Amino acid sequence: MKKTELKELMINSLNPDGDNSLIASRLEDEGVSYNFSNDFSEKVTNKLFAAASGITRELEFVKGLNYVFYRIAFTGIAAILILLLSIFLSEGSLSVNSFLGLGNGYDESIFYILAGN
Amino acid sequence: MKESYRQTDEIELVKASIDGDRLAFSEIVSRYQKMVARTIKGMLGDSVFSEDIGQEVFIKLYNSLPEFRGEAKLSTYIQKIAINLTLNEIKRRKRFFSMFSQKGNSEMYEFEVADLDSTEKRDAAEVVNKALMNLEPKFRVIVAMRMLQGYSTKETAEILGLPLGTVLSRLSRAQEQLKDILTKL
Repeated sequence: MKKTELKELMINSLNPDGDNSLIASRLEDEGVSYNFSNDFSEKVTNKLFAAASGITRELEFVKGLNYVFYRIAFTGIAAILILLLSIFLSEGSLSVNSFLGLGNGYDESIFYILAGN
Repeated sequence: MKESYRQTDEIELVKASIDGDRLAFSEIVSRYQKMVARTIKGMLGDSVFSEDIGQEVFIKLYNSLPEFRGEAKLSTYIQKIAINLTLNEIKRRKRFFSMFSQKGNSEMYEFEVADLDSTEKRDAAEVVNKALMNLEPKFRVIVAMRMLQGYSTKETAEILGLPLGTVLSRLSRAQEQLKDILTKL
């Protein structure tokens, strides 16, 4: 196709009532063709599904982390309760002194303990 | 899960894709990639960046498939996504170039004329690309729809979500602008 013919075709393609269904294919025959690379479809699906599996892995990790957190938290709470109970049973109260193991002792006895006498 | 979706209609393809069937979505991409390439490359020029936007179009499509109710054709739905993303890219480039460069309108776009077997074909591709890139973006999108995709005026209005009268007036102004551009080429 000559350049002038091509230009005319382009201008006529913008006529409001013209049938353009053939113009695109005529232009394609003249080398006006647009396409993506051959592996375009593969690239898109790889990007999409790799991202999806990445998200799944991330979700599983977060779930696992939650599980471990709850296990540790419950064990910790149970340990604290047992400790409180044992302090209460041995010292008879839950005061600061009983926590420090000073329930029934005189102040002076601390120095004995610290001095090792 | 099917082994091949070549003969499958688009509604079934959409359903299978929503269920995470990679092969079904790959078939959608294969069917519509050329259409998307025409729109994006017709509006942005033929460069590697166009392919990135093409990928973005299909990724956006995949994520919005659950919202696709099948009232319009899938091709129309994809076309709308492609146009919106391309117009956003044009705006982004315009902002970038207005801040950092003195380049003119057509220099914002790149074109790589493919290795064509004859000089005549290469010239034809160059004339069309140059003409398109010199058009204003609002006209370029209409020209891409009419000239490269072969849509009727009514279909163009539907895809762009514009009243028919607006499309007609833009077509006539685009035609004038195209005539001016082509006389210089």
